[in-house]
Amino acid sequence: MAMKALEVYKLLPKTNCKECGFPTCLAFAMKLAAGGVEPERCPYLDEETKALLGGATRPPVRAVTVGVGARSFTVGEEIVMFRHEKTFYHRPGIMVCAADTSPVAEIRRTAEEVRDFVVHRVGQDLTLDGIALRCESGDPDRFAAAAMAVGECGDLPRLLIAADPAAHEAALRVCGQFLPLIHAATTENHAEMAALAKRYGCPLVVRAETQVKLADLAAQCTAAGAPAVLLDPAPRTMGDFVARASHLREHAVTRAAPDLGYPLYLDTVPLGTDAALAAGILRYAGVIAVPPLPHPSLLAALTLRQNIYTDPQKPIQVAPGIYPVNNPGRDAPVLLSVNFSLTYFTLLGYLEAAKVPCYLFVVDTAGLSVLTAVAGGKLDEEVVKKAIEATDLAGTVGHRTIVIPGFAAPLSGRIEEATGWTVRVGPRDAAEIGEFLETETEG
Amino acid sequence: MTERITEVAVGATRTEGGTRTRSYRIGGASALPGMGDAGSRPLVALEICDDPALWPAVVLEEVGDLAGDLAGWARAAEEWWNADLVRLVLTSTRRRGFDDPAAAGRAVEEVLAATGLPLVVEGSADPALDTEVFRRCGEAGEGERLLLGTAEAERYRSVAAAALAYGHAVVAQTPIDINLAKQLNILLRETGVSHDRIVIDPYTGALGYGFEYSYSVMERVRTAALAGDADLAMPMISAAQDSLTVKEVREAPDEERAGTAVEWEFYAAFAAAVAGAGIVCVRHPRTVGVLKEAVADLWEGAGWP
Ligand code: B12
Ligand code: SF4
Repeated sequence: MAMKALEVYKLLPKTNCKECGFPTCLAFAMKLAAGGVEPERCPYLDEETKALLGGATRPPVRAVTVGVGARSFTVGEEIVMFRHEKTFYHRPGIMVCAADTSPVAEIRRTAEEVRDFVVHRVGQDLTLDGIALRCESGDPDRFAAAAMAVGECGDLPRLLIAADPAAHEAALRVCGQFLPLIHAATTENHAEMAALAKRYGCPLVVRAETQVKLADLAAQCTAAGAPAVLLDPAPRTMGDFVARASHLREHAVTRAAPDLGYPLYLDTVPLGTDAALAAGILRYAGVIAVPPLPHPSLLAALTLRQNIYTDPQKPIQVAPGIYPVNNPGRDAPVLLSVNFSLTYFTLLGYLEAAKVPCYLFVVDTAGLSVLTAVAGGKLDEEVVKKAIEATDLAGTVGHRTIVIPGFAAPLSGRIEEATGWTVRVGPRDAAEIGEFLETETEG
Repeated sequence: MTERITEVAVGATRTEGGTRTRSYRIGGASALPGMGDAGSRPLVALEICDDPALWPAVVLEEVGDLAGDLAGWARAAEEWWNADLVRLVLTSTRRRGFDDPAAAGRAVEEVLAATGLPLVVEGSADPALDTEVFRRCGEAGEGERLLLGTAEAERYRSVAAAALAYGHAVVAQTPIDINLAKQLNILLRETGVSHDRIVIDPYTGALGYGFEYSYSVMERVRTAALAGDADLAMPMISAAQDSLTVKEVREAPDEERAGTAVEWEFYAAFAAAVAGAGIVCVRHPRTVGVLKEAVADLWEGAGWP
C-alpha cells in the first residue's frame, strides 16, 4: 500500500509554491511517504489524487483539529506505538469540564482559569487546551446558555458533551463558529450527530463499546459528511482504556483497519482522575476531558505530558552563547554551563534569585546535562576553547577567569591549558551558587 | 512476541525457609501492560531509611517521630500505609566517616523483626564499604530472599557475593542505557548470579528531570526482552529517588507541598508501571494507597479479543 517518495512526487504539481509549509514539493513528498502529514496540505491536488495519496500515505492516525485561532490544537498524525521508535507528535489536548447546571458566573470563571493557566518549565509554556461543557440539565436552552457564557473567553477550544442531539444543536447555534469537538455519536443518534458535524464543520467523537461498532460508526459518520472523527472506546475503568487504546493504536499503526485510524477520546471524570489522566497521556489519548484539578495534579500531569511528548532523540535545548544575567559589567564573573534547557533554566532561576550580576556562558553539548556531557565526552577543553573563540567572550569581559560547574571539576586543568583562561571550580549544586559568587567577589 | 519475563522470587515465608508473612514472584509477563499478559501485578514499595538526616523534608513532616524509630516506621509501612514491600535505604552508610557495617546488619534485622513484608535493601554506595556492608546485610537476612542492591558496572562483586552466599536476589542498576543494562546482567551471571535472581534498575530520573529518558528505556528493555533477548528478560524496579527534592516540591506553597510530593511520585511511578516496572518505589506514605489502587485498576483492564 505504501508509496515511495518519488512515486508520490510524480503526483504533485512540482511548482514548489511552499503553501503546504514545506520548502519544495519533493520535501512534502518525502514527508507524505513517511506517513507524517495529510495530502490535504497541498491545495492544488484534485480529489482523485488526494484519495490516491490519502490511502497510501495518510498517517495511520489521522489529524484532527479542535477549535479555531491561536488556541486551536491538532491531535493524531501519530505513526508509532512507542516513542523510542520515532517520537509522538501531537500531545493530547486537556479540556476542563464544567456542568451546564452550574451558575453561569462559575462556568465563566472556570473557562477564564483554563484560558489563563500557564506553567513555565524549561523554556516552554505548559497550558491547558480548552473547556468541556457537559449537559447535565437535559435542557437544550440551558446548555446553550452555558455555551454562551464561555463565549466571552475568546477562541478557547470547546468540547460539548451531551447525549441529546437537540442539546448540541442549541449549543452549536451559539458557538458553532468556534468549531467545537462534539461528543458523542452512538449507534442510536449517529445520523443526527453526523449531520450536525457536517453542517457546522466540527470534529465529532464516536462512542461504542466494541471495536467493530466503533469502526462502523466512524465509517458511517464520515460517509455522512462528518469532517473529522475521534474514537471513544467507552471504557468502564482506566484499565479498560489502556487496553483498548493500545489495541486501537496497534490496529492504526499497522494500517490493519483504516476505520480505526483516528485519534482517541478519554473522559477521566468517571474513571478516577489522576491515574486516568496519566494513562491517557502515556497511552495514546488525543483529547482528554478532566474535572477542574488541584494545582499539584495539573503541574505533575502537564510535566508528564511534556516529558512524553519530547522527542527522545532531541533534548530540549537553548542556543549556545553569552547570556548576561542581572545587568553585569565588564568585571562580572563568567559561569560556564551546558545548553541543556533544564540545566540552563535551573541555573538561571538561582542566579536571578541571588541577584549577583554575571555572564552565563553556554556551550554546545548537544543538549546534554553537565555530568552526562562530561561522561559522554560532549564537554571537554576543546569544546570550551572553540566556544570562547566563536563568541566574543574575551571582548565582553575585562578579565580572563571562568567558573566551571562542580561536576566538571576534572576538566579544570585541561581547560586552563587549552584556553589560557584561569579556571575556578564552582559548587555542584546550583542552589549554592549565590553564596559561592558572593564570597568569590568579596575575595 | 512470545517470550516471557523471568520470574524472580522476593521474600520467603516459613514454608519457603524464611519468616515473611507473604512472598511474591514478580515478572512472568509476555506483553506490556494493556497489550496482553503483563504478568504479576506491580508491587508498591515504601522506602524508609536508618538515618533521616538525608531524607526529604516533606516525608519527615509526614512521618513525624517514626523517622527516628526504624521498627515503628517499618511496621507503619505495612499496617497503616499498606505497602506491598519495604525498601530500607541505609542512608547511615552515606555519612562521611561511616565505619560501623555491623549497624547496617542490625538495621536489617530490626526491620525484618518489625514487619512481615518482604524487604528490599539499598546498601552502601562506596566501594570501600561495600564488602562489609553487603555481607552484614546479606547475613542478617539469610533465608528471607531479600532484594539486595545496588549492583553497578563498577561495583557489583560485593553485592553479588553477599546475594550468592545468603540466597538473595540483586538489583542491577545502569544509567538509562539498554546496552549497559545488558552488559551488567551478563557480568552478574558470570559471577554466578542466575537470571532468576536479578532485577533490572534502568535508573529512573524524577518527573521533569530525566523521566522522559527513563520511561522509554524501560519500554525498550521490556520490548527487547519480549523479542527474545534473554539477557534483558528480568523484571524491572523503578525508584525516582530525586522526586521529592525537585524544585516543584521544595518550592511549593506550604499547604500544597505534601500534595505536590504525592503527585510527583505518583505520576512517575504509575508511568513506570505502565512501561513495565515490576516494583515501583516511593517515599511519601500517602503515595502508596493511590498508586496501589491505580495499578490494580490497570491490571484489571479489559481489552478486546
Ligand atoms: C537524564 C540522564 C541522561 C540522559 C541525558 C539527559 C540530558 N539531556 O542530559 C541520557 C539517557 C541520554 C544519558 C546518557 C548518558 N549518561 Co546519563 N544521566 C542522566 C541523569 C539521570 C540526569 C541528568 C540531568 O538531567 N541532570 C539535571 C541537570 C539540571 O543537572 P546538571 O546539568 O548537572 O546541572 C546542575 C549542576 O551541574 C549545576 N550547574 C550547571 N551548570 C553550572 C555552572 C556552574 C558554573 C555551576 C557552579 C553549577 C552548574 O546546576 C544544575 C542544578 O543543580 C543523571 C543522574 C543524575 N541524577 O544526575 C545520569 C548521569 C549523569 N549519566 C551518566 C552516564 C554515565 C551517562 C552515559 C555515559 C551512559 C551511557 N549511556 O553510556 C550517557 C552519556 C551521554 C552520551 N551518550 O553522550 C552518569 C555520569 C557518571 C559520572 N559521575 O560521570 C550519571 C550521573 C548516572 C549515574 N549515576 O551513573 N543520561
Ligand atoms: S503546496 Fe503543493 S505545489 Fe506547493 S510546494 Fe507544496 S506540494 Fe508543491
